[in-house]
Parts: sequence; structure tokens; C-alpha cells
Amino acid sequence: MNPDRDKTRVVVTGMGTVNALASCVPDFAAALRRGDSGIGPVTLFDTSAFRTHTGGEVRGFAGPQAVPQGFRLKRASRADRMAFAAALEALKDARLYPFPEELRRDTGVGIGGGAGGMLEAEEVFRRHLFRGAGHAPFSRLSSLYCAATADLLTDRLGLAGPKAALMTACSSSATAIGLARDFVRDGLARVMLAGGTEPLCRITYSAFNALQAVDPLHCRPFDRRRRGLSLGEAAAFLVLESLPHARERGATIYGEVLGYGVTGDAHHMTAPDAEASGAIRAMTAALEDAGLPPEAVNYVNAHGTATPANDAMETKALKAVFGRRAYRIPASSTKSMTGHTLGASGALEAVVSLLAIRHAFLPPTIHLSEADPACDLDYVAQQARPARISVVLSNAFAFGGNNTTLVFGRYVPEGIAHA
Amino acid sequence: MPERVVITGIGIVSPLGSDNDAFFRQLCAGASGIAPIDAFDTAGFPAHRAALVRGFEARDHISLKNLRRMDRLSQMATAAARLALGDAGIAVGPANRDRIGILIGTAFGPTDVIVQYARTLFTKGPAFVNPILVPNTVMNAPAGHASIELGFRGINSTVNQHAVSAEAAIAYAVAEIRNRRADALLAGGAEIVSPFLFESLLRFRALSPQDGEPEGSRPFDRRRNGFVLGEGCGILCLESLASARRRGAAPYAEIAGCGWAGGPCSPSDWPRAPEGAILAMSRALSAAAIPPSLVDVCQAAANGSATLDAMEARALEGVFGGEAPPAIFSLKGALGECFSSGGLRAAAQAMALSRGEIPPTAGLREAITRLPVVQDAPRRQPLTWGLLNGISFGGSFVSLVLKRATGEAVPS
Repeated sequence: MNPDRDKTRVVVTGMGTVNALASCVPDFAAALRRGDSGIGPVTLFDTSAFRTHTGGEVRGFAGPQAVPQGFRLKRASRADRMAFAAALEALKDARLYPFPEELRRDTGVGIGGGAGGMLEAEEVFRRHLFRGAGHAPFSRLSSLYCAATADLLTDRLGLAGPKAALMTACSSSATAIGLARDFVRDGLARVMLAGGTEPLCRITYSAFNALQAVDPLHCRPFDRRRRGLSLGEAAAFLVLESLPHARERGATIYGEVLGYGVTGDAHHMTAPDAEASGAIRAMTAALEDAGLPPEAVNYVNAHGTATPANDAMETKALKAVFGRRAYRIPASSTKSMTGHTLGASGALEAVVSLLAIRHAFLPPTIHLSEADPACDLDYVAQQARPARISVVLSNAFAFGGNNTTLVFGRYVPEGIAHA
Repeated sequence: MPERVVITGIGIVSPLGSDNDAFFRQLCAGASGIAPIDAFDTAGFPAHRAALVRGFEARDHISLKNLRRMDRLSQMATAAARLALGDAGIAVGPANRDRIGILIGTAFGPTDVIVQYARTLFTKGPAFVNPILVPNTVMNAPAGHASIELGFRGINSTVNQHAVSAEAAIAYAVAEIRNRRADALLAGGAEIVSPFLFESLLRFRALSPQDGEPEGSRPFDRRRNGFVLGEGCGILCLESLASARRRGAAPYAEIAGCGWAGGPCSPSDWPRAPEGAILAMSRALSAAAIPPSLVDVCQAAANGSATLDAMEARALEGVFGGEAPPAIFSLKGALGECFSSGGLRAAAQAMALSRGEIPPTAGLREAITRLPVVQDAPRRQPLTWGLLNGISFGGSFVSLVLKRATGEAVPS
């Protein structure tokens, strides 16, 4: 044990989620092991005029009932409510709910957002267009931007620590988790609630269809016949804490946030750089930040959107980072089950990574029946497998060329890098 | 030992132009960029004024090939980024591009494109939306476009956090440089005014005029009645002191400390309780390892909103209520409330420290606080330490401590 080093270590002591597969973490774990598909018909809005009609919709989400009344979320958006449900699950899981008074000052929120309250804002746009400004319910715009979710969380829980809201499309909540981990590591907070939320909405749904990036049925990551992604919605939160603090209060430790890397492609606004430089550098930077060599990794939770471009690029990147050993490191896309949850995907897939570590299994890439010859790694096709996992790399590659990679590890008292 | 972080370049696109020196001189002369809005029709509205960007020709700064793919917000951000790199004397190339990045804040993002997209979607249907618009509807479009135009491939991220977006992006960038994750980072914020944004803020009764008072931006004034919207982009080039020294670059100022806080607040309201602001200021001062008594000047977030200005005055009195309080000023009477143009304010702060001159608070006649608010004329005095506040509705607080660069940074 090294007390000086331990002070800079950040662990995960609670998790929460709402997504197309489940409304809580235990059910999510079970669904991932079974290889359930969360992709089905979208019912949240009428998709008849859209090119495609399926997605990873959160089903049976009780909305107002999902969050205790005392939180007064009346004007909150779907994204806010999903976030609250996931955040409260994480806090309860961490045994930090009701939130302890003595921790409020040093606890903050880091959120990665996406469309935020856009589903509700669409109604404002429509009425403004068709019935005039006087009939547009402008108050529904109050939750449009993702910072509103962070504001609601800090206000209702009484938190005074650092608050940050990032929006980098598909890498938002991955970066938010990295930043939150830095806040704890650098002593600006003792506890951070870090995560993301993303609703399905017409604007997002139409945007990806306009780019012809959506598979009409369901996504098939790494498959030869893949045609694009499946959009999904979700919220996911982690409770991050300094290791000494977690030990002091006897918290359950799910794993450790070992490091992260953030880079830019500087190439194209929607297409990844085929040379994979940005992805390679993000993974390399993350491993360097974690103080680990590539050999330490035993599972990759891929970005794996199932677009023709991403999956080929990501495979290339994995081979560049891991060399020949890439063929022996399982890399699955759980977007095959949850859909691509955009702003929430980093946080959702962080939960997946930590569940894989905790429950010793490799989540599968479902719907992968015939791999693309350019994608010839072990993607854990169709079925989950048991495996002892100590280090997971989780990738998020976004529009604008924003790349973030997170490294999670099994909690080991002396630290994985020094074990 | 963490690195020390300095500002070696400033790039601005503002209602007072894009020339750093002219920008600062105009601020000191009490000029204001607030004027009647000519970019769109305000006939049916109670408000008609804003601080809009003037004299900005995107093609002076951006290649035609990339320009035609960019929305207005991205154009401004990319131009300011290029100006900041130029001011810093940094040429991006294969040897350094992976260690140079960007961290931008924007509160509302490309609302012009979002509304245009929504209009087509809801009036004509999904088959008619233009896919070319899609990448420009996201908050991280400006940072993406800037990196493509200028070629840097390091850290690239976007803060989307109301009126502290730029301050938070700067604080985030400071931390990344301290942690040696980048050699240089372009950090700041960008905002555009659009008709829908203007109308929405009117509906939220956030804009002046209110309460029968005349329209205008009057930070800390007894007759303030809401803020006047502004737009613009301010980007700082941040580097480690070591990197600046190696290059022989003379910094404007050092960013010596940053403080972040949350506080009780209703989501679409300015905060009423001063705790969050006091905490952010205290944390920033503590990070800079200086007591409040050493602060020479404090740039306030005050923008003419009834609640915000009153709260901040109390918070400032709480932190500085001792014997020799710093001079206080706000630039939002000159620049409007630009939300994420906190980069512009940080740029002005760096120049103020470097020149020993504090611009007056345009729009202020009768202050609501006994603290020494600079008004009517600039104040010239030697300045070493400056504090800058960012405060957003919804309750985010980010404060930055800047220190004038002394001769030490310039190698012999």
C-alpha cells in the first residue's frame, strides 16, 4: 500500500442506469449476459415519415413516477428524469442517499450531454411554426441544454462541489467521467456524480437518417452486411470517489478509473479518419495516463457503431495499439444491444465495462453473424463468455472528430500498475 | 510539480472588432458595442438592442474550402483561434500538432442552424432536411471546424454550461496543461445571437427593458432592468510557462488559480444566494495561494440583471469586505451578456493587468454597492492580481485568478 499514490486513485462506488435493456443496474447486467436486444419499434413519436422506424427506446419508463415527488421535477425533460432515476440509483448504490450533509460541499456533478430537452423543445418549435409565437410554450426550453440536468441535480441534492457540463456528441459523457475523475484526483472534490443522459427525439432521429447512417432493422457491428447504427436513449451515472475516502466509509468498490485520453481527428466533421490516428492516439494517451502498457488490457468495449466507416477504422486502431495481440483481446460492441446512446454512451458503456469486471463476463456483440474480412478480431459474437477481466478500454469516437478513451480496472489494493 | 500556465496569445471576434489593441482601447474609452439590432427585425418585440459582432469577414481568416461548410458560430471560433495562435507566434505542424488542442465553451451553440433544421423538419418533413446541416447543429461543431482548418489534433472538447461555458473551458484547459496533457491549448468561448434565441430570452423575461425602465445594459446600477444580449468569441492561447520560455514567447499573464462551485439555484433563474459565488472565488484564491487582500482588481459577472448583480455585490462584499477591497468592474455594459464570450472578458483582464489599466463599467451611473466599482473613466494603477467571475443562471460558478506576467518569463 502506498498512501501517497492512493490519494490520487479514483474508484467507482455506485452505478445507476436507465436504458433500452433495463431500468436498473442488476437487470442491465442480466440482460447483457443474456445478449438481449433492446432495439425495437420507436413509439415515443411517430416515425412513419422517417426512413427508419426502430431504436433502443427506454420502455415503460415511468417518467414522473421514476423519481420521488420531493424532487419537484415538473418542468424537467425526459432526459432530466432519466438522469435523475440513474443518478439516484447510483447514489443509493453507493450508500450516499439521502445525501450526507457533511459531503455536500465537496461533491460535484460532471455531466456529458446530448440532445437534452430537445424532445420537449420540438413542441415549442412546432407550435411556433404552425400557431405563432403566442402559442409556443417557451417555458419548455428551460431544460433544453444539458447543463440544466447538472443544475437540477446540484440544486435538489444541495451539492456545492465543481459542476461541469460538456457536449461533444458521442463522446460527451466519456469525457465527463474523465474530467470528474480529474476533479477527485486533483483534490477539487471528494465525490463526483458523473454520467450522461440522452433522449430519443425527432431532430436527432431525422439527422442520422438524413446522413443515411441508420440501419433499417438493427445495427450489426463488425458484420459484413452492416448498414449503420441504431439510435438509442439512456441515462447512466457513476459515483466516483477518492480511494482513501471510499475505504474510510467502507464503500463497495466496483472498479477504478485508471485513466483517459482525449484527442481530435482534425479531419472531417462526421466521418472518422480512415487512418485511425485520432483513435490510436486517444487509446495510447489513455493507457499512458493509466500508467499501463497495452498488454494489460483484457477487454475493449468498442465504440462499434456499426457504420461501415467506424468499425473498419476502429479495428485498424486496435491493431495499431495492440499489435499482434489484438487478435487475442476480445472487443465487443454493446451498442448492438442498447443502440447508440450518443451523449449518454460514454457513461452507459462505463457501466458495462465495470459490470464486465465485477461479474467476470465478456458482453457480446449480438447480430454479428458474418464478420467483415476487414474486421477480423474477436468481437465476442452473439454470446457472452465468462472471463476474468482486470483492465477494460472503453472507446467513444464522436462527430467533429472528438475521441475519448477511458481505462477502467478491477480494484486491487496495491493498484493494477503495481500489482 | 504541476506546470504553471500562461496566456501567450489572444484572438477575438467581438462587437468592438477583432484587433486586440483597438478592443482594449475602446473599452477603456468607455465605448459600447451595444446598438440597435440591424441583423433581424425586432419590430414586434419590446427590446431592440444587442451587441452584435461588427467588421468581421470570415474569409479573411478561413480557407474557402472549409468556410463554406461552417456555420457562423464555427466561423467566429475558427477565426479567433487562428488569431490567437498567430498572436502567440505558434505555427501548427506535424512536430507539434498532437500536443496542441482546443477547449471551447458555448451556452446556446449554433441556434441559427438548429432552428433552420427544425423548420424544414417540421414544415416539410424528414425527407427534405439537408444532411449538410447536421454536423453544424451540435455544440462541438466550432471546436471541430477549428481543428480541421488549423490542423491541431490534441485535446478537443466543448463545455456547454450557460454563462460560465468559457470560464469553465479555460479552467479545464488550465488543468490539462498543469497535468501535461497538452503543450498549448486554445481556450475560451463563442456565442452568436439569433432571432429565436433573442425571442426566447425575451419570453423568459431575461432581457432589458423591464419595469418601465429604458432599454440598456447597466451592471450594478440602481436602475438596471435586465441584460442586453451580446455575441462574440474570445480565445486565449494557453501554454505552460516552460513551453513559453522555450519559445521565447512573452506572456500577457499567468492563470494562477481556478475555482469551481455549484450552489442552490432554480434552473432558469440567476442565483439568489451568494454561497456559490463566494465558494468559487475562495477556491480560486486558495488555488493561487493568495489571500483576498492581495487582489487588485475583480471583473464581475454582473450584467444588469436585477438578481444577479445584487447577489454578486453581496458575494464580493463577503469575500472583500475588509480594508482595501479591489477595484471592481464589469464589461457587460460594453459587450452585452455574451454568455460564452467569457473568453473576451478574460482577454480584457489579461490586457488590463499587463497595461495597468482598468476599463470603466459602461452603463453604470449609480452603483448598488459600496465597493469601488470603476465607472466613467478608466483607472490606471499598477496591477498584479486580478480575479474574474463567471456566474450562470442555474447556479454554476467559475472564478479565475490571473497574475500579471513579470519580466521573468522573457529569457535573457
